[in-house]
Amino acid sequence: MSVARFVDERGLKAFVDALAGSRRVIAPVAKRGRFSFEEVSSADELRLDYDVTILPPKKVFFPPAQPIVRFSEGEVESCTCGIDTVLLGVHFYDVKAIDQLDYLMRENNADWDYLCQREATTIIASNIQTVSPRAFWDSVGTHVDPQGHDAFLTRIATGYVYEPRTPKGEALLEHGPFREATAEETAEARQVNESVMGTCPERLGYTTEEIAERVRDAYGNEKLWDELAERCFSCGSCNTVCPTCYCFDVLDSWNLDQKSGTRTRYWDACLTREFAAVTGAGGSRENFRERHSSRFRHRFMRKTTYLNEKLGGPACVGCGRCSQACTADIADPVRVITTIMERTS
Amino acid sequence: MGKPKIAFFDFAGCEGCQIEFTNLGPEVILGLLEHVDIVEFREAMTEKTTERIDIALVEGSFTMEKDRERLQSIRKRSRIVIAYGACACTGGINALRNHMDDYHECVYGPDARMPHLQSGPALPISSVIKVDYYAHGCPASKDELVRILSSLLHNDTPFIPSYPVCVECKRTETVCRFDEGDYCMGMVARAGCGAPCPALGIPCEACRGFVDEPNLRSLETVLMERAGFSQDRAIGKSRMFTANLRS
Repeated sequence: MSVARFVDERGLKAFVDALAGSRRVIAPVAKRGRFSFEEVSSADELRLDYDVTILPPKKVFFPPAQPIVRFSEGEVESCTCGIDTVLLGVHFYDVKAIDQLDYLMRENNADWDYLCQREATTIIASNIQTVSPRAFWDSVGTHVDPQGHDAFLTRIATGYVYEPRTPKGEALLEHGPFREATAEETAEARQVNESVMGTCPERLGYTTEEIAERVRDAYGNEKLWDELAERCFSCGSCNTVCPTCYCFDVLDSWNLDQKSGTRTRYWDACLTREFAAVTGAGGSRENFRERHSSRFRHRFMRKTTYLNEKLGGPACVGCGRCSQACTADIADPVRVITTIMERTS
Repeated sequence: MGKPKIAFFDFAGCEGCQIEFTNLGPEVILGLLEHVDIVEFREAMTEKTTERIDIALVEGSFTMEKDRERLQSIRKRSRIVIAYGACACTGGINALRNHMDDYHECVYGPDARMPHLQSGPALPISSVIKVDYYAHGCPASKDELVRILSSLLHNDTPFIPSYPVCVECKRTETVCRFDEGDYCMGMVARAGCGAPCPALGIPCEACRGFVDEPNLRSLETVLMERAGFSQDRAIGKSRMFTANLRS
């Protein structure tokens, strides 16, 4: 693999400014006391010291509301296309989540509305400088390596170490005043990334396999799920901030001319009441997850067991976004899983 | 076949939903008029109709027994009835009076005994007639109304969200009101508005009513624990636009 490079603080700014001058750069910026991935026009907006963003960076490839098709009197035209983009400052847990989506969107019928932007994007991951209040990324799916990013940027005492992982990551080097990193700088970067592990405020004390087995076994324990979901609003916030959720709904809308229109896909959320409602023969309706608790249970089954074989690990990367977003504070995977483990032992 | 005929009718309300329709502006309204005829619209034209209507947009809540006949007549001559705006959909903010008995004096002072103020409880129009579709909100969302009318023009079932406002806040990556030390009722409030209030730093007051099966006990708990409300305030707050939807 390519050699690690070094750039100082000023050099990094020049690099980001040069990138932003030649293509779309999306990076973490401050937003009313929180952070979000947004398009930046200058390095001054960049906040690599962010803890976690409100929405995960998957929104770059899979926007919350994405026009996918325009139609007009029988003519149908795709309206997704990839824009040359650098996605900068992705933490390793989000890299893991994107890697899962890459797999899921590619299998069977490849989802080109996702893949076209994914393939046009270069991901520069970065080290975690601030740990978010509900993070547990150092104790979930620890055997799964982050992959799919094109470079990794680590802040060290004197500047930044940039480690290209793909030709796309290597190709960006020409935009900044990089030099080859010394062995000490590379060692310091490794130490920075190692030492952040073990600093999360929350911790899962069980292996992926133990959790998968016991959560699955608890499926029929209605009393437990009723209790866990008692305060649930079914608002879907745990889904809509999740970096590994990928369900969507599709809606057509007409333009004023009533001849043309747009088909848009929207993030859907399996916690919401209508998610599993279907229309049957003769207009009958059936909702196969009618209760708060069955929808709550479904989410935990999806995150801890159903997809594990396919993904090689749990469909949860420990970002803690759901814990933070849940107004009733009942969505925290660490607390829910720990309760299940303790109560069913 | 001519263009479908649309008419607006108003009951107890501020008629702000009719005004909101005019806020669509000339381009959209003239565009719509290519496809529909508006035959009665008190806020914008003087003509009235007693003929058959394709789509009746009924605004305001039902508060007086004498209005029953008029509502029934509208239903009888309309192919589709849309409850237009919060008052028509749920009773809206008018329904606050349903939980009070001292408001006449405090609101109207010396005029409190005027005969036209002697009205009954504020109820949704569905308490009198069958409603086909609901255009929620205070005011009703003008853009949503255009979507609903467009769907009906194509004989489609309009999509009217049943998920809560939290979904729309997340889709727009709005910072949660609770994260800024505020309160909010977006968790139980019906979406479809696009969540403009929280995006501007204003809590959601559930003007579109509740989602189906709102967890109201949890709402009270969250308003008390996270926003520091007293129990009375938590209960009162969650009644503002939804007094008919809860005890």
